[in-house]
Amino acid sequence: MASNILTKKDFFNTTLRAFFLQNGFNYSNYQGTGYANVIYPALKKIYKDNPEKLKEVLLDNVEMYNTNPHFVPFVTNIQLVMLENDVATEDVRNMKMALMGPLAGIGDSLSQFLLAPLFSTICATLAMNGQISGPVLFLLGLNGILLTIKILTGMYGHKLGTSIIEKLSAQMSKLTNAASIVGVMVISGLVTNHVKIGVPFKYVQKIGDKEQVVQLQKMIDGIAPALLPVLYTGLMYYLLKKKKWNTYQLVILTIVIAFITFNLKIFA
Amino acid sequence: MSITIIEAVLIGLWTGICWSGMLLGTYTFRSLVLATGVGVILGDIPTGLTIGAIAELAFMGFGVGAGGTVPPSPLGPGIVGALMAIRGGIAPETAFTLSIPFAIAFQFIQTALYVIMSGNHEAAKRAIKAGSFGKFRLIANSTLILFIVFGFILGFTSAISSDVISGFANKLPKEILSSLQLAGKMLPAIGFATILSVMSKKELIPFMLIGYVASAYMKLPVMAIALIGTACAFFIFNQKEETKVESEVFEDGI
Repeated sequence: MASNILTKKDFFNTTLRAFFLQNGFNYSNYQGTGYANVIYPALKKIYKDNPEKLKEVLLDNVEMYNTNPHFVPFVTNIQLVMLENDVATEDVRNMKMALMGPLAGIGDSLSQFLLAPLFSTICATLAMNGQISGPVLFLLGLNGILLTIKILTGMYGHKLGTSIIEKLSAQMSKLTNAASIVGVMVISGLVTNHVKIGVPFKYVQKIGDKEQVVQLQKMIDGIAPALLPVLYTGLMYYLLKKKKWNTYQLVILTIVIAFITFNLKIFA
Repeated sequence: MSITIIEAVLIGLWTGICWSGMLLGTYTFRSLVLATGVGVILGDIPTGLTIGAIAELAFMGFGVGAGGTVPPSPLGPGIVGALMAIRGGIAPETAFTLSIPFAIAFQFIQTALYVIMSGNHEAAKRAIKAGSFGKFRLIANSTLILFIVFGFILGFTSAISSDVISGFANKLPKEILSSLQLAGKMLPAIGFATILSVMSKKELIPFMLIGYVASAYMKLPVMAIALIGTACAFFIFNQKEETKVESEVFEDGI
């Protein structure tokens, strides 16, 4: 018999408390202190007649934890179902620790690698054109989606238990693939607009009285528009992926190249 | 025009509020949002939007990191860079490049804060053992409080000293400023390359080409490209599902 100390509302509140997960973030137990705080009100209700047990469970939960904050309601809500049904402490802990890695993986790739860059590129372009709707859409759109993820994972966690994680990753890979298509298309387009490298070289030729100006940039544009930005982004991509450079090295390289090429009048 | 005390206080508050989003996961802590806020406070929204957008695109690559690592802080371009561009009259691209050292300095401050807060693990345990749950909850929010306070201090100090910073920047020789501007125009390539290196697979090359053609030749706006991308994604997935069903039927036949 499943016990029902906690109501739907308690699970929903715990879900929303996921926003507080990182409020005690530190390099000792990472999200641990915050995690215990997220589930604290629900625990207080489960153990309202047993203050010693409440202390014990809270102490168990300040241990090190580090996962994706948007998917954490899934863990907290499964855990609460297990706790109110007196599942053995060790099993609860195993479940919690088993979910930490996969959820961090799924959650980070979705929020950090796909949603954030996608919104970031589209909204920054709007802003570049002077539209205040850029940052507004960025905040509203991104947070709307992330809140939805929190609520959905919280509901799943409450209702279904661990088997859902496999289903979730299958659907997620579909979503990831779809978002990748949109992502690479948008970003390939943006490279041509937002990376700006020009060649100032001009060649003036006199044929009789007429002066003919040959601009190298125009010749390059004739071959392919935005060729240099594309090639430079390609170089960055190559160094990142094949040569395993980190972002700092690329920033320094770019500044050095900018200084040299500008002063030799190669690029402008 | 120099910054008034009221403006500096507002910028401090804005910095503190936005920085707390780093912990709350609300994405307020991005150059685009930070710089727009500075633009609103100082009454120059267009410049705020421009530097915010430049920094947002260039810093996109820094957002991609393993959980718990601290990337260069968007406070650099989002606050200091925006101040330089809006009140110092420095070109947005140049202001962005000049703000990178600040981004790295603020990154160290953030790491230091996480290290300092390491004590809260033990403190939380002690509070729970003692049964003082109110204190436990305070400890559980301590990093947030610290971020808001430090954010205020950093934002306020940057605003107050922005005359000095911009004055120094304006004294740099013209060649250096122009080179930095070129660097600012080239740096977004790193952000794009980072995101592409995470997303890209061989199968996605056609879509990269479509994106390039749509933008470079057809000059389509970014929303149009995003819509074409969505259409392609739908098309591909509908087709995939059909082939799946067919192959299943075939297997049943065997």
